[in-house]
Amino acid sequence: MKLHSLIFLIGEAGRNIRRNGLMSLAALGTVTVALTVLGGSLWTTFRLNEFARLQPERFNRIDLFLPATSDRSVADALQKRIEKLPNVKNVELVPKEEAWKLIQQQEPTLTQALETNPLPDKLEVELEDPTQVSSLAQQFRDHKAFSQVEKVVDAGEEVRTLVNFARIIKIVGGGLSIGLFVATLFIIHNTIRLTVFARRREVRIMQMVGATPGFIRLPLLLEGLFHGTIGGIIAGVLVLLCGREVSLFVTSLKSPLVGNQASLLSPAQIFVLITLMGACLGVVGSFLAIRRFVRQI
Amino acid sequence: MIEFKDVCVSYASGWQALHNLNLTVEKGEFAFIVGPTGAGKSTLLKLIYRDEKPTQGTIRVSDQNLNEMRLRDIPFLRRKIGVVYQDFGLLPNKTVYENVAFALQVIGAARSTIRKQVPHVLELVAMGHRPDSFPNQLSGGEQQRVAIARALVNDPPILLADEPTGNLDPETSMGIIQLLNHIHVRGTTVLVATHDHAIVDMMQRRVLAFERGKLVRDELVGAYRSAEFEEPRP
Repeated sequence: MKLHSLIFLIGEAGRNIRRNGLMSLAALGTVTVALTVLGGSLWTTFRLNEFARLQPERFNRIDLFLPATSDRSVADALQKRIEKLPNVKNVELVPKEEAWKLIQQQEPTLTQALETNPLPDKLEVELEDPTQVSSLAQQFRDHKAFSQVEKVVDAGEEVRTLVNFARIIKIVGGGLSIGLFVATLFIIHNTIRLTVFARRREVRIMQMVGATPGFIRLPLLLEGLFHGTIGGIIAGVLVLLCGREVSLFVTSLKSPLVGNQASLLSPAQIFVLITLMGACLGVVGSFLAIRRFVRQI
Repeated sequence: MIEFKDVCVSYASGWQALHNLNLTVEKGEFAFIVGPTGAGKSTLLKLIYRDEKPTQGTIRVSDQNLNEMRLRDIPFLRRKIGVVYQDFGLLPNKTVYENVAFALQVIGAARSTIRKQVPHVLELVAMGHRPDSFPNQLSGGEQQRVAIARALVNDPPILLADEPTGNLDPETSMGIIQLLNHIHVRGTTVLVATHDHAIVDMMQRRVLAFERGKLVRDELVGAYRSAEFEEPRP
């Protein structure tokens, strides 16, 4: 395509947007709302998924208590044995002396009454996969296999609930996001179809005077790109502003479940993602919309 | 230049718009296509600029077989054919100059060509004095002149006019036909589909009369009606 033709087409797209101001505004508004809902939903699902994924790791540990009378060599041997088990990430020995010292610092009045250290040695077993906490804890409870272990403490039930929660969020959130993506594409496609329909006379004249389909499509695609990109930028800003407010609110709840989780995506990345999504949906939506009109050559 | 051989056009509803049409229009001819509504006049014109395809038969325009024409070649055929409609088909948000220039811009013409051609063709149709007016500021006759200028700006060898005077008063209609005749004298092949008895009778040109999709009369110098062609009696 010649440069002056390209300049004409870009100018034509700009003039069309300006001259059909009300229609452009309606299209832009619809695209913005649709993208805000989609972006907000994706962001919420993403954050929930991240939250649910991180929670089991907090309970990703089994504590094994040895008898108080047990010798240190028993704890050492057991530590080495457990380290070799599959799915075990790390085994930390907490000697009874260390634990006693800590308690003495935390509860001086309580510990003063006791003359000797009643605490046992403890092994903190960290797992690779949090879903395996219950089954591994069950193995440790088998007295024949682990006769040295007196007590096993794990967060089996909590972990199971959280893992299920994470799975549900992944499935429901994923399905919802796909559905919303399709709905957004449909809305944008329909909106742009209306703007194309409003200009069917122009398209017809272009066809009659010998414009090629590509030449007819380009300004309409540029308009779709414009509506999608600007809608995406506004939606990105709205999602970030709303997201920040929600984060501040959740943090203010001071729930033990809410930690300082570093998001995998920075606000700038979320903004760029929504804008790019808007641009892509704008182009695809307008391409689908004009295909029908331009094909009728 | 334009050749129809055994051309039929029928629709899914069973309606036959054209029936076994054989016709040749030579380069530089001026012909009227007459007949009542639904006789097949507009269909004939649409076939020439490949807005419709025949169900049967062969159509050749400027030595090109339209039956074998690929979709991507249609725009290039249309650049050789100017088309004028009854409703003018002007873009309301563009000025007279922009409407005419649009036809050149969309085929990728250079700016220098546009700057030279548009004022020239506007002068030809006697609209050179109103390049900055919008269509709603013009009379029907003036709008049709602009539409003719747009059809001509690319200097096509063929000009098709589908009821160009349908929305105009008799005096203005006569002016438009004189303009089409002037364009014909410059060497353009002109085909005009019309209901306008007075114009056809006055011009004394070739007349192709259609009735229910059939070519019932082809006279080199004819009037709207002739002794051989009469309305069917009830």
